[in-house]
Amino acid sequence: MADGTTGQDPVGLEPVGPAPVGPAPAVRPFLVTAGRVADAGGGRAMPLETQVVATAAGLDALGLLSFERHDIVAACRLPQSLAELAARLRLHLNVVRVLAEDLREAGQLAVYVPDPEAVHDASVLRRLIDGLRAVPDSRGIPRNTE
Amino acid sequence: MTSTERLVRGAAAAVRPPLPVKMVIAGGFGVGKTTAVGSISEIEPLTTEASITEVAAGVDDLTHTPRKTTTTVALDFGCLTVDPTLKLYLFGTPGQERFGFMWDDIVEGALGALVVVDTRRLDDCYPAVDYFEHRRIPFAVAVNAFDGQVEHTLEEVRWALDVSAGVPVVVFDARERGSVRDALLVVLELALARTGPGPSAASAHPR
Repeated sequence: MADGTTGQDPVGLEPVGPAPVGPAPAVRPFLVTAGRVADAGGGRAMPLETQVVATAAGLDALGLLSFERHDIVAACRLPQSLAELAARLRLHLNVVRVLAEDLREAGQLAVYVPDPEAVHDASVLRRLIDGLRAVPDSRGIPRNTE
Repeated sequence: MTSTERLVRGAAAAVRPPLPVKMVIAGGFGVGKTTAVGSISEIEPLTTEASITEVAAGVDDLTHTPRKTTTTVALDFGCLTVDPTLKLYLFGTPGQERFGFMWDDIVEGALGALVVVDTRRLDDCYPAVDYFEHRRIPFAVAVNAFDGQVEHTLEEVRWALDVSAGVPVVVFDARERGSVRDALLVVLELALARTGPGPSAASAHPR
């Protein structure tokens, strides 16, 4: 019961209105977060590019984790952003935000929120400019040799 | 000290992540945003579902709280690893073919933005230009030369969009990696010019 499958209606009631277009997801997105949303606490939601990486404790606990939590820790053997994680696991970004926070509190995921001051850091911008200049164009010629 | 040396509270991660920075690619529907992201990204552009706020009335009205609803949109993005300690993310803003969207959740903390323009549909990019001007985010207008054709001169585009003199207007080809790279560099140089003197240390800190 209530397992999210799209089987026959046990009570035999037919929907009255028009049928919804396309298949509905088997599980509503925020069921996996027990209805919690990412920014409900009034604070700012973690930025999309926030880096997450599994901790040793998280990897040790993989066998005990289930479903989305398992998938997140397993996918975070290498660091990645919340956005990449959501895209690869096909989860709503805000679902990933909530679950990442849970896993962080459990010590199973390390969460690195970027410092907003990086935007105004000239050294970061210079490294970025140098790095981007070295990117070759489609013919393989980097900008700084033109 | 590198940018991400501070370890997360109570749990040492096995691999230290890079400092993530982001830029935003904005513009009207079908103008070449995802093409531009894909041209320079080291991965095939990914898509995720994200929430944005749709303002029913009174955009940027600070005296009244407009009615807001949350809308789920598809968000395309890519990334570029500059070096093991620094990674650039590029996010395309969704839904900007209509006025009244707030992309704060996507744009918050962005280094800068590129507003992609199709000269055949100039007015499609007004919301993006307005948005970045009001939030004082460094941005450049990049006219996408579809098939090498630009129907208006850059001065005509500048006049039509009424962007301030400090906003660069360039022509680029969203399909060409070198062209997208150069357009992004224009934005980064603008962001660099805005940084004042004085020490600052960017870091990723544990939450």
